[in-house]
Amino acid sequence: MSQHRVIVVGGGLAGLSASVRIAEAGLPVDLFSLVPVKRSHSVCAQGGINACNDVARQQGYSEYEHFDETVYGGDFLADQHPVLEMAMWAPKIIDLLDRMGVPFNRTAEGRRDLRLFGGSLFKRTHFAGATTGQQLLYALDEQTRRFESEGKVTKYEFWEFLGPIVEDGRCVGIVAQDMRTMQIRSFRADAVVMATGGNGLVFGKSTNSVICTGAALARCFRAGAWYGNPEMIQVHPTAIPGADKLRLMSESARGEGGRVWVPRKKGDTRDPKSIPEAERYYFLEERYPKYGNIVPRDIATREIFDICVNEGMGVDGKNQVYLDLTHKDPDYLTRKLEGILDIYEKFVGDDPRFTPMRIFPAVHYSMGGLWTQFVKGSYNPAEPRKKHASGTPAPIDWKVGQGMLHGAPTNMMTNIEGLYAFGEVNFAYHGANRLGANALLSCLFDGLFCGLSVANYVRDGKPGKTPASGMAAQAFDAAAAKEADRMNRLLGTVGKGGDASVNPYAIGKELGDEMTAACTVVRSGPRLAQCLSKVTELRDRYSRAVLSDDASWTNQSFSYSRAVGDMLIAAEAMVKAADLRKESRGAHYRTDFPTRDDSQFMKSTVAKHDPATGAVSVELQEIDHALILPEARTYGKKS
Amino acid sequence: MSTATKLDPAAAQRAANRKSAKAGRTVIFRVKRCEGPGKPSRWEEFKVPVPPGANVISCLQHIAANPVTTQGARTTPVVWDSGCLEEVCGACTMVINGRVRQSCSALIDDYAPQEGDVMVLEPMSKFPVVRDLWVDRSRLFHNLQRVKAWVPIDGTYDLGSGPIESPASQGTRYKLSECMSCGCCLEACPQFNLEEDKAAWDTSFIGAHAISQARLFNEHATGAILKDERLDALMGQGGINDCGNAQNCVKVCPKHIPLTESIAAMGRAVTIHGIKKFFRGE
Amino acid sequence: MSEATTAKHPRSFLERHHHLLRRLHSLTGIVPIGVFLISHLLTNGSVVWGLLDSRKAEYGHAGVATFQHEVDFIHSIPFLFFIELSLWGAIAFHSILGFYYAKTGITNTGSYSFGGNWRYRLQRITGYIGILFIVYHVGTLRWNWTFLTPGGTAWSAEFAGSTMAQILRGSPSELTVAGVAVTAGYLLGVTSLVFHFANGLWTAAITWGLTISQAAQRRWGYACAGLGAGLMVMGWAAVIGFATLDPAEAKATEQKFRLKEQREAEKIGEVIDRERNRVSAIDAPR
Repeated sequence: MSQHRVIVVGGGLAGLSASVRIAEAGLPVDLFSLVPVKRSHSVCAQGGINACNDVARQQGYSEYEHFDETVYGGDFLADQHPVLEMAMWAPKIIDLLDRMGVPFNRTAEGRRDLRLFGGSLFKRTHFAGATTGQQLLYALDEQTRRFESEGKVTKYEFWEFLGPIVEDGRCVGIVAQDMRTMQIRSFRADAVVMATGGNGLVFGKSTNSVICTGAALARCFRAGAWYGNPEMIQVHPTAIPGADKLRLMSESARGEGGRVWVPRKKGDTRDPKSIPEAERYYFLEERYPKYGNIVPRDIATREIFDICVNEGMGVDGKNQVYLDLTHKDPDYLTRKLEGILDIYEKFVGDDPRFTPMRIFPAVHYSMGGLWTQFVKGSYNPAEPRKKHASGTPAPIDWKVGQGMLHGAPTNMMTNIEGLYAFGEVNFAYHGANRLGANALLSCLFDGLFCGLSVANYVRDGKPGKTPASGMAAQAFDAAAAKEADRMNRLLGTVGKGGDASVNPYAIGKELGDEMTAACTVVRSGPRLAQCLSKVTELRDRYSRAVLSDDASWTNQSFSYSRAVGDMLIAAEAMVKAADLRKESRGAHYRTDFPTRDDSQFMKSTVAKHDPATGAVSVELQEIDHALILPEARTYGKKS
Repeated sequence: MSTATKLDPAAAQRAANRKSAKAGRTVIFRVKRCEGPGKPSRWEEFKVPVPPGANVISCLQHIAANPVTTQGARTTPVVWDSGCLEEVCGACTMVINGRVRQSCSALIDDYAPQEGDVMVLEPMSKFPVVRDLWVDRSRLFHNLQRVKAWVPIDGTYDLGSGPIESPASQGTRYKLSECMSCGCCLEACPQFNLEEDKAAWDTSFIGAHAISQARLFNEHATGAILKDERLDALMGQGGINDCGNAQNCVKVCPKHIPLTESIAAMGRAVTIHGIKKFFRGE
Repeated sequence: MSEATTAKHPRSFLERHHHLLRRLHSLTGIVPIGVFLISHLLTNGSVVWGLLDSRKAEYGHAGVATFQHEVDFIHSIPFLFFIELSLWGAIAFHSILGFYYAKTGITNTGSYSFGGNWRYRLQRITGYIGILFIVYHVGTLRWNWTFLTPGGTAWSAEFAGSTMAQILRGSPSELTVAGVAVTAGYLLGVTSLVFHFANGLWTAAITWGLTISQAAQRRWGYACAGLGAGLMVMGWAAVIGFATLDPAEAKATEQKFRLKEQREAEKIGEVIDRERNRVSAIDAPR
């Protein structure tokens, strides 16, 4: 039995694939999750997972083109070597998922089918109906259960991560709380993998699950971990507006032929089916003849926003446009998209096979996340190459280790030694905008590729000599005690009166409204300044928050109230970074700086938190752009 | 697939309610509350204003932010489990007006279209209550271990692709694989009942979800390597033979998984497996 | 959280042979119990369908005569005792295990009033009623528990129809209150058993995996419902047939039938005697 242990926080695709990979390498894993891992937010991913395959390759596509598309799609903000490695690994990951039994849609011959997705002219997206994330998560959940039944993975479900324990600059464990018994305790670990996903709740309503507060990231941030590109928030162009959340309508709806339009005439209240073709404005197709409805998300979002907010052409004068599938065969739609069409029908009441859907953009994904490092691989051209011409032969072949050195202990390690970030909480790969169907890939890639890095670090790095299990108890006890104090201080406010201004739910809602208004599709210096002062005001009000439940058992409202404090700090980093980036790039669009400025800003923003003063500062940091030369990201827009 | 060809009476009623729903109304929520395991339950009522498109979750969110009962008494926020809010994670399952379902997809317009209509929320009864509407469903996941619901791969190494599979087989497996472990089939099953003693889990009824998952993996070329072990588990006490064929499972499954077909298919597999074992002298 | 809960404890007999016992439980419901039920109801129904047999009309009530004929036939089967014993064993096995299995479920038709759920519940209720009825039925008719029959009437195999009528009517002449109660009990018992068998046959096809698709289950459901309806008609016909019989008329028919049978037997006896005499006359030493 090894004296070493690894903690994985988060049971989504990244966390589970990391757990499986690390357990397979012989290290016992303690897996922490807010929810039973099978209910993690990865389950919501719909469209698919990108990877070159033999069919696409023979049509002229390549792993290299996938890499090129991802860098271009991310508007040249991502470090390029890790993206290259991810694209190279993608086909292997699909093979592995296939072996795990993922029911990928099949061709007539029984091979894996492909669909078209945003940002590519090739079909290169593998899918399982319209619930690909669910199917992938389940496959990993099953493998994890297998390891669990063998005693190699221990699950701590309904446990909330409260913070890393950092001793001498090295992460040696975590503090966590059982959300049922409310017990707070420390856990020792030789390495900690954060795989805690996104932070949609900072924006109030989003496409995210209710657990996606981003509090775990913020807690690492407060403990000294850097937060990379916090301002890069993806707003998905197509979601169903709702009272409690904005439900995603997958990009696959457009990949399978869905068309976005509004009536040409403002205020046209006719039934959409009765509006003739000539009187419909297919604005994405007209503005982007090459990519049409499958332009990347940030572009589609801004165009829809433009049509509704600036042009006032939204359907029924509201912030909504049609996403139309009614020209497709209903049976075909059922076969390819049943999952998402059912969601629409369930929550709106109309059947999208026969009625155009009404959709509007919604906060969806955080490209930003914990800042991480990597060790470059073997591909290092003397000069960066020009952007790859689609469909032409790739300059390099499919091979492992060209982008990143496989197994290097620092791959995707944060600035805190022994603390890793995998999946959405990792800022790598997606730059300023994530391409559809690349999220599942990056989650799995981190877990499967960098899992070995974790194992190597534990065996050969500092833990090899001084395992966390042998360290003095004092630091661990102190960390747990500090969190218990924080809890008791918050619970002590119950019954202290106070008006709505100090109600944590009200503070959370105001934060969401303000962040959505100021820091999503369209941003500007003055508005961001206003937003920052609002966040500061909310932080001040939060310091006087009064809670409504002091139960010492399963106190959910306490848990949420505590998270609001962390969300406020993350929000501050986002706003400050958005302010610092005086250009427009990918999802970050500034009305006062509408163009991209590579000379100054082809750099990561890195937010740092000073634990002593609580101050958040943001600075720019060089990125790795040694492989592809940046060029204007137009997607062939007609001017 | 609900092309609205054949609606069951309850669904038809919901559709009619939705059409007649009054705007700007207030609905009463009767919530069964419980402080924790072993504590007594009590009922509390909340008046909740219902905006268009509201569902049980958005109303519970309203109650969480304003925990005041109809009588004007301050109380604690109601505790419930939720996740994706789009009916794919299974977390927010509870008993609404006597029937088990996900609360996120329970639209208030469907159930309480008039001013003062009442919505009754209760926790699932087949799992131990953690607090209020939140229950502990670990037994459900434990039962997936009983049937070894996984494909026994040789690790995450690069070993090429999986088996070729016909679109028809993929279609069957995909449907089964949509099971989100919500527990509706168990809540509605008369044979699956509350069992707090973990030691008894392995001999209590395993549930439709696990039987269907056993079928899912037995249908996969590599998954079938563990076929006999799964069938052995299903043959034992608390296995498939404990099914009473009430068939409520398939009626309440939010994903329309053909659970009763899975039960019959595994019944056949177990029949053959049992006969083979008999003649092999095992 | 899943500490391995596979605590090792000695497994009981029931646990070790769970599958076998469950499947035998299912099987015994069909063979022999179900098969016997079919033949028994056909026999008893003869009091009504026997009316169609014009050759029996000479005795008076053709139904009663046919029924008596059937009863006599059954009583002529060799090793009847052993057949009965195995049937009893099967019923005891099926019902004791049935009780035990039924105990594992908690009905919930209040919340989930689906047809299938009602059938699940009725299957258990009819099982309880059915076994009570069987015990009463066999106790009073076969083991002479006359303290449980109206007026202490004992059923007799020689006067099968008339004694049966007397029990169901409550007296040798008019219909009494006790008679109505017994008749109602018989109707309930027969109905329960027929439902239990037909529904059991439907679920058995799922249990054994004969019907897998929902369409197949539905089709087999129609078949089982048809069989059930047929048996129900037969069972009700028998009960109502006996309950509306005039015991005196029935007895007259039985006596006539018995006499004729006797006479025929005597006739055969006479022939045999004659032959024997003839042979002995030939063989006699001169």
